[in-house]
Amino acid sequence: MNAGKQVPNGQRGGGTVKTRTLNGQKLAPYLFILPFILSFLIFFSYPLVNAVLMSFQRVLPGDVAFIGLDNYKRLLNPDFYKALLNSTRYTFWTLLVLIPLPLLLAVFLNAKLMRARNFFRASLFIPALTSIVVAGIIFRLIFSELDGAIMNSFISWFGFDSQKWLLSPSLSMLALVVLATWRWAGINILYFLSALQSIPRELYESADIDGAGTIGKFWKITIPLLRPITIYVFTITIYGGYAMFTESFMLWGSRGSPQNIGLTMVGYIYQQGFQYFDLGFGSTIGITLLGITLLVSMLQLNVLGFFKKED
Amino acid sequence: MRKTGIALTALTLFLTTALTACGGNNNNGTNASSTAAPADTEAATSEAPAAEPTKLTLWTFVQQHADFYNFMAAEWNKGNPDQQIVLDAQNIPYDDMHTRLLLALQSGEGAPDLVDIEQSKFPNYMKGNVQLVELNDIVEPEIPNIVKSRVDIYSKDGKYYGVDLHVGATVMYYNKELMDKAGVNPDDIKLWSDVETLGKTVAEKTGVPFITFEGAGNWSWWPAINQMKSDQVGPNGEITVDDPRNIQAMSFFKKLVDEKIAAVSPGVGHDTPEYKAFMNAGGAAAVFMPFWFMNRFTDEMPDLKGKMIIRPMPAWETGGNRSAGMGGTGLSITNQTKSLEISKKFLAYAKLSKEGNIQVWKQLGMDPIRTEVWSDPAMAESNKFTDYFGTDIFATLTEIKDEIYPVNIRETSPKVFDAVRNEIVPKIFQFGEDPETVIKKAAEALRKDTGQ
Amino acid sequence: MVEKRPGKLPSLLLIILFAALSVIALFPLFALFLASVKPASELFRFGLNVRLDFDVMTWANYKAIFSGKGGSQNFFDWYRNSLVITAVFTFLCLFLSSMVGYGLAMYRFKGRTLVFTLVLAVMMIPVEIIILPLYKLSIDLFIIDSIWGVILPFVVAPLPIFFFRQFAMGLPKDFMDAGRIDGCTEMGIFLRIMVPLMLPAYGAMTILQALFSWNNFLWPVIVLRSTEKFTLPIGLAGLLSPTSNNYEVLLAGSILTILPILLLFLFFQRFFIEGLTVGGVKG
Repeated sequence: MNAGKQVPNGQRGGGTVKTRTLNGQKLAPYLFILPFILSFLIFFSYPLVNAVLMSFQRVLPGDVAFIGLDNYKRLLNPDFYKALLNSTRYTFWTLLVLIPLPLLLAVFLNAKLMRARNFFRASLFIPALTSIVVAGIIFRLIFSELDGAIMNSFISWFGFDSQKWLLSPSLSMLALVVLATWRWAGINILYFLSALQSIPRELYESADIDGAGTIGKFWKITIPLLRPITIYVFTITIYGGYAMFTESFMLWGSRGSPQNIGLTMVGYIYQQGFQYFDLGFGSTIGITLLGITLLVSMLQLNVLGFFKKED
Repeated sequence: MRKTGIALTALTLFLTTALTACGGNNNNGTNASSTAAPADTEAATSEAPAAEPTKLTLWTFVQQHADFYNFMAAEWNKGNPDQQIVLDAQNIPYDDMHTRLLLALQSGEGAPDLVDIEQSKFPNYMKGNVQLVELNDIVEPEIPNIVKSRVDIYSKDGKYYGVDLHVGATVMYYNKELMDKAGVNPDDIKLWSDVETLGKTVAEKTGVPFITFEGAGNWSWWPAINQMKSDQVGPNGEITVDDPRNIQAMSFFKKLVDEKIAAVSPGVGHDTPEYKAFMNAGGAAAVFMPFWFMNRFTDEMPDLKGKMIIRPMPAWETGGNRSAGMGGTGLSITNQTKSLEISKKFLAYAKLSKEGNIQVWKQLGMDPIRTEVWSDPAMAESNKFTDYFGTDIFATLTEIKDEIYPVNIRETSPKVFDAVRNEIVPKIFQFGEDPETVIKKAAEALRKDTGQ
Repeated sequence: MVEKRPGKLPSLLLIILFAALSVIALFPLFALFLASVKPASELFRFGLNVRLDFDVMTWANYKAIFSGKGGSQNFFDWYRNSLVITAVFTFLCLFLSSMVGYGLAMYRFKGRTLVFTLVLAVMMIPVEIIILPLYKLSIDLFIIDSIWGVILPFVVAPLPIFFFRQFAMGLPKDFMDAGRIDGCTEMGIFLRIMVPLMLPAYGAMTILQALFSWNNFLWPVIVLRSTEKFTLPIGLAGLLSPTSNNYEVLLAGSILTILPILLLFLFFQRFFIEGLTVGGVKG
């Protein structure tokens, strides 16, 4: 809360020496990051500490008690492993699909010889606008096991038999990745496009003069300049992968999936915390998940030389 | 510079909002809920003199329930000019409503006066110090008049905490057209063993399965074992999933599927679009589901209008139970209510009174818990259900009135139900595994997990 | 058309590729729209389909929503609440988050890595585990059951901070020095020089944050208590819940929820295309 007091001071001296100091190069960065610091202190520090505490507690109405490491010991069970495995597999596949594909499509969309780009960009983005409830209804029907359902009719053109998509572990993972691609590809295209559009055209023009081909320019100019945004998309895809719950919720509803083929880490938190009313254990899973995602993204950022280059 | 000024003002705006909020907290931290306050105070002060109407908040997760409660509140106001109520019946999606209630009860703030709690979620709210109000004074006098198991579900240690909306009596829905084609009279199917013989005839003559079972749900196995007075959970929450009777029922169903007399329902169960499309097109000759499934037929399987009839379930042995009460929603009062007396009166009026129970059928098309109204002339009035299923609905129901055995819903139930739906049933019906092995293994895992 | 670039064939191939992709992307929504103008019984008879049967098509489902029946009497309240919350949230979120992201990208200062790590951490906290303490906190801060309760906790959002940081990394730093020589304050440099350069980023983020706010559900349904304060997703989700069996309202309501955000998108995508030329010319 102390940080907040600076501002009334700063404002009182508005436009005079004090603003200058506050706006000076030394203090300016702190002014810029102040909103985040305040938001963190006010809205996240207490809940986060509280969640960590709850992970060591049994939490029931009017009956909260510390139970040491019991919740953490309970983590070692098949459902937890299943959830972790499902989330990791999903993260892996979305990374594999949702980065190269949107990047390539964004480059095409940005190409000079592209026609009707606004229209195509809009149509690829529109799926992202649908809410969870709606997308859930549509995709439940698309991946229905009936012969006449859309997915089954589609594969029958290629001579395959009808499948029970939402009962098989591998097919349902495919369904999840298809759904994720449908919903998120447009968003990632948008990210890449916004970065592509800030690349100065002159760079390409001078490369033209040097006689570089289209593919050469792509590898020499586009890819390196897209690096910051690629790191960003990579990180949020990892995060999105481990945070995935709604897609699974959409396909199987709230009562879980056959043999837990759709159980994800956040789904597991939801099941234990809210459906079994075990908020303590739910927090334990959540804290563990937070640890895992932070670790994975830090590793990833380090491998990509994120911190090294800039500090 | 002007822009800098704007930026700073915006920032200060943000900070002051945040800062005043913290300051307010220090000044009077106990009694909060700022914007909702006027309504609450009004409700609290108006209770005693009863001059002003009392505002009651009610949460539910089915719009039709909200409409029913609103109707009952209007009826109540007609009969009680000195005790008017203003009912705010909020309809919030199933999972979110239960989560919201959980947070409100856990933090001691923000709960409604009245709340609809779905049967399988109910045990969650019996954990720790129960945050719901005991209803014995309104429930006990009515016990002789109602299906008692419908309040037992919502009780703990002899205290009643909720009253169900309906019985949920499981019945057989027969496609008369297909049965006639096979030349089998539904009334001849009295026992499950008849299903094996007569059902085979139906399957052979019509080319469609006689009956379907839920492939990843509990509405087939559970009612069937309830008929044998068995359950998946014992009276004290012990795991009884692998009771020999349960294994017997499941093995029998599996046999029917293997003999092509029965089929596994398309979709994960009967309450899915796949099943409804299948059944609507004459995909099977019969199904057994609770009474509330009727409106799935009327609303979602329009082509079967006039072709479906309702009959009791087959029993396991002569004289055995021919129904089971399945599913349900209990209306409860939370301990955060500021208008306890009038909440109780309204609950009793809406859920236990004769008027209320007649409306449960008229408004919702459900089987009311007060059995005397089943023979009331009001029940024979024609509506969309009688148009669809014929006029003998309540005749069937009255026949099985005393054949509904209670179910056990305890703290272990949510986990057990999930294991049944997601582990046991799919393994047997979708992947063809051996019932006994699957059930015993799942029961062991459940015992380990719940410490029972 | 007389350009010397060999544009024609690749251009045609690209159009074919994108046309195919667009069909895949839009097909489910097209099917949804068709279903929404037919009686629900059609859906149960034939499943999700794209039969164009003009005889059964009707706007009745849409009329049902506006009729005020079955709990939809607050429909316009919800619509208005959603619009207000989305507008306020998006504006504040973009302003504050771009500031933080820019600060993290452009300055070297003590604790920068720590702050950035915190940003990542906040992004990765599963909301489910902080929802109970955050709910208690909202009661204590008097923001329960108000639009501020929906907006404030998540308005300084880690995702856009990260995005703006990455975006700002690519901006030319020599502009800052030029600004300083002209006598701009640091905040002035940000607002006058850098913000215009980041327009494509603002364009993209406006759409995404508005989308997030418009469809946000988990937290608003907890923090908002009065029916008339609900947002559109909460109100509609109640009507749409599968336990209610009213697919008519469900499908038509879904189409109506998509519309405003679609218009916003169509409007803003021009805006951020134009951002390109600004950045391009100066860069």
